Amino acid sequence: MTHTEINWPAALRATDAAEQGVAVRALRDVLQNGLRIALNGRGGVSEAHLEDFAQESLLRVLDRLDQFQGRSKFTTWAQAIALNVAFTELRRKRWQDVSLDALMADGERLTDPAMIPDDVLGADEDRTRLVVALRHAIENGLTPKQRAAMLGELREIPFDQIVELLGSSRSAAYKMLHDARRALKQRLHEAGITGADIQNAFNL
Amino acid sequence: MKPEDQRLSSEQVGSIVKMLGLTRDREFNCSECLQHVGEFAECQLTGKPVDEVIASVEQHLALCPECREEFEALLKILKSE
Repeated sequence: MTHTEINWPAALRATDAAEQGVAVRALRDVLQNGLRIALNGRGGVSEAHLEDFAQESLLRVLDRLDQFQGRSKFTTWAQAIALNVAFTELRRKRWQDVSLDALMADGERLTDPAMIPDDVLGADEDRTRLVVALRHAIENGLTPKQRAAMLGELREIPFDQIVELLGSSRSAAYKMLHDARRALKQRLHEAGITGADIQNAFNL
Repeated sequence: MKPEDQRLSSEQVGSIVKMLGLTRDREFNCSECLQHVGEFAECQLTGKPVDEVIASVEQHLALCPECREEFEALLKILKSE
């Protein structure tokens, strides 16, 4: 039987240990093969890494079986989880030396005109007005943690690393950043700059 | 880090502004995106119409570079099948 013909949720929940074992091993192979394709050509990823990622992913998928809603193929859903496991780990290794103090200090500099010069988006009046309003909004509308998290994202620090540094959860940190964007948008609106103005300026 | 390295680039400031332009009152977070990104990827490859849930995935991917990186990797796998 090919993997596309397997009723994965049923097979992975099988009460017969042998039957379940076959499904578990088959899924691990599917995940590992997918990761090999996705990460092909990426430096520093060995076959041993792929095995570790696949094993960790398998456990994550089994733990979340009840969340599979059948809106996609099971293997597509499981591959998405495997990619999240692998990329999270790879990003963490790259940024493991960043400290909370450095992130918070960097965030505080976001209000400094030297950090965001008035003409950074161009010297025309509309864009200069937008940048000045944005800097004021960052200074007056955000908390220090929101500034730090936003700058961390701009520095391309992995979101999971930011979450860990802030001692938060993924959901809470995403909400904090979402609230920060909404607060900035509101401040810009109060300064006479609407979402439509932004979309027009950047052809969104 | 040198002061000149700390300064944000026009791309970085532009990305803040663009994110504000895309911000909605109700959005998927990364976990919600992960739950549905497979369906979005399959829609992309088959041309199946997107519903409200899948549109929320698309909006999240426009805002989140990490989820977008994982989505592009998923497409790579699905295209190889």
